[in-house]
Amino acid sequence: MEEFEKTLSRQQAAIEAERCLYCYDAPCQAKCPAHVPVPEFIQSIRSGNLHGARTLLQTSHPFIETCGRICPEEAFCQSVCTRSKIDAPLRIRELHRFVTDSTDPSDRMELPETTLGRVAIIGAGPAGLACARELRVRGFSCDVFEARQVGGVPSQEVSTHRYPREVDEREVHFLTSTFAAHVCTERVADLKPLAADYDAVFVATGLPFESDMNVEGTQLVGVHQARELLRKMKSGAISGAGNRVGVIGGGNVAIEVASMLREEDPTRDVTVVYRRSIKELKAFKKEIEEATALGVTYQFLAIPDKVVGSHRVEGLQVTQAHLCEEDESGRCRSEPLPGSSFTIPLDTVVVAIGQRIDQGVFPGLARSDSGLISVGENMQTSMPGVYAGGDAVHGAQTVVEAVRDGKKAAEQIAAFVAGGK
Amino acid sequence: MYREHDLSYDFLGIHLENPFILSAAPPTDELDMAIDGLKAGWAGVVLKTTSVESNPVNLKYPMMSSFGTAAHKLWGLGNIDLISQYHIDEICERVAALKRMFPTKMIAASIMGSRKEDWQSLVWQLKKAGVDLVECSFSCPQGSMGEAPGRMLAQSVEATEKVARWVKEVAGDTPVLIKITPQVTDIVEIARALKRAGVDGVTASNSVPALIGVDVETLEPRPSLFGEGAYSGMTGMAIKPLTLRTIAEIARNVDITISGNGGAYSWSDAVELMAVGASNVQFCTLPMHHGFGTIRDLKSGLADYLDRKGYASPLDIVGKALKSIKGQEELVTPRSRSDIDLDKCIGCGNCFRACSDGAHRAILWDAEKRQPSVDAEKCPGCGQCMQVCPVNAIRMKEELDGKVHYFEFKGTH
Repeated sequence: MEEFEKTLSRQQAAIEAERCLYCYDAPCQAKCPAHVPVPEFIQSIRSGNLHGARTLLQTSHPFIETCGRICPEEAFCQSVCTRSKIDAPLRIRELHRFVTDSTDPSDRMELPETTLGRVAIIGAGPAGLACARELRVRGFSCDVFEARQVGGVPSQEVSTHRYPREVDEREVHFLTSTFAAHVCTERVADLKPLAADYDAVFVATGLPFESDMNVEGTQLVGVHQARELLRKMKSGAISGAGNRVGVIGGGNVAIEVASMLREEDPTRDVTVVYRRSIKELKAFKKEIEEATALGVTYQFLAIPDKVVGSHRVEGLQVTQAHLCEEDESGRCRSEPLPGSSFTIPLDTVVVAIGQRIDQGVFPGLARSDSGLISVGENMQTSMPGVYAGGDAVHGAQTVVEAVRDGKKAAEQIAAFVAGGK
Repeated sequence: MYREHDLSYDFLGIHLENPFILSAAPPTDELDMAIDGLKAGWAGVVLKTTSVESNPVNLKYPMMSSFGTAAHKLWGLGNIDLISQYHIDEICERVAALKRMFPTKMIAASIMGSRKEDWQSLVWQLKKAGVDLVECSFSCPQGSMGEAPGRMLAQSVEATEKVARWVKEVAGDTPVLIKITPQVTDIVEIARALKRAGVDGVTASNSVPALIGVDVETLEPRPSLFGEGAYSGMTGMAIKPLTLRTIAEIARNVDITISGNGGAYSWSDAVELMAVGASNVQFCTLPMHHGFGTIRDLKSGLADYLDRKGYASPLDIVGKALKSIKGQEELVTPRSRSDIDLDKCIGCGNCFRACSDGAHRAILWDAEKRQPSVDAEKCPGCGQCMQVCPVNAIRMKEELDGKVHYFEFKGTH
């Protein structure tokens, strides 16, 4: 599958870079959870110093190839670009991507000896690997425990038209090889032995489970969980979905799986079934645009009642909804219109209504009501020396926010270990 | 459908329908190009510099180079061009042909020679062909001939005066312009020499001797012909301020007619050149960049300007700015302060940083609100902040004798 977005040409990047105002104490940089030094790397594009730009990106952020492609710029840097007060914001993410696409990883790396201590990191997603890299740079050695695939959500669940496999492999390989994190494939369920063996532990296990839909018929053949399906497709396997697919949900996962199902078979009918309207879709704008361009269609204002069928899925019965007043999150609630139900003929139903943390592991860790791991300001959990971050603490968030957590945890862990010695 | 403002006037006794002339350069080096330019509406042409038949002209290509940024490639244009490869015989035929086709346009020709006989022969032949005006290149940055080889004629006061006299002796009542270089110690000396020689005016000024660049990968000069290069003559927007100073300096000191040339890219650039003393304006880089059609906006912009300002003729502009050009020591000493319009301010912080690192550390920065403010005690009103402000939200405010005056940003249109 060809990538949806083309990288900027050198000329396009140079002209775009000229639009940058090089703001003092730039808002874009402050808004970036990883604090990528945006005006500085753009200045380096302008001067033709692409390796300098790459070094800046690489220093601030371990997942630069990933974020150059999938970071929702509208939520971060570009949302606060001062240039929008003159005309339009800089295309910061695309400039970032231009740098990573035009340069090889810097090999001028100097790493200290790993004399400061040993840290166990549970989960090799963006938060875990960011933490491992930061700790390695500071002089710690890390063992990363990952029962699934190294790379986490972007590697496993982001569609190839946005994030090609070879880019992912290059990035993850660079991170694990250069920063010499030892990857252990055993599944960790209890933290106590690790806490005893290592100087500190960082838990970044994400949200491994998917929310179930509480309606009749979800046991039928042809009902899938969205992320499981994404992982299957991303691994190269055939999804097994039929020709008339309904994806239930309105978040990024729903849009992602809908896109990837169209990408897998462009003749397949894929409809996103969502209880609210287009305005309330939680997915990022660019992902929605790409899904629409791929031919994904939408059934808005439809609340699923049950999956219809005897053995296999034959349809999805929904009730039409109307929008009421905004709730505290500023979004409109949807309420069913009594007596307005109808059945959408489908042979496949994909459930993408949310993700959950695994509450069956790590006994002894304090958790919030929803089961997320509780941490203090310093990212330490209720167990001394055990830190946590990423989706397992905050719920579903972006790669760059996971990176922020990993970097911050590394700093805190370094301070903790130094204080204990 | 719309009334056209009359832009015509007399220049050295020659009728000009507007002040815009195609200079002696590639746009006038072919007959059909000169014809197209005149048809498009240019008031006249100076045919590219010609020489006597015995003078070989050995051009080196590629001759053009430029410098700028990705979005503005052509701030400055460079050439290692020489004079025309067409000799005086051909040019005389063209002069006659153009005069027949365009009897109301100014048909001028530019010449360069070495010996007295050459200069005088060139002038004599052009006069015979019916030329309106003769321009003499004393300042081609490459391929200088005659008195001081390797040096431009107009870099020597004595040579300039001597050769100008030779030319004027033969030219008689045909107007003669001497095209000079800005690259001299004292431009006024040169202009005085020309006045003494009795020529009709100066063309100020020719391209500026320059090294356009060095390729940092190969460390070869630009342009590079198989690894080797030469100095260029630089033209284009980048040299306008140099030309303005050259013209102003001549006009302030010597009573001589000036044809402005060098760096004008728009009607307002032309107005600037005229305001400091040019009686008309020659163009080369603009048509080489955007074509002969640029004459439309030159005329329409100037017409609108004259209407707006209540000037009857382009001549009304000539020299209007001169009385205000003074020595720095003669200027009043205002006590101004930076005055920031926070309604216009977009909070980029460029003024704060520029003041902090390049001026007087007199702008304070509210990081929370992303807002600058001025420390009136420290600010002398230097004006650097208003140069860097991307939205022109900054002025210098002066309160003198209870009256408020603002110095505002002037730079772009």
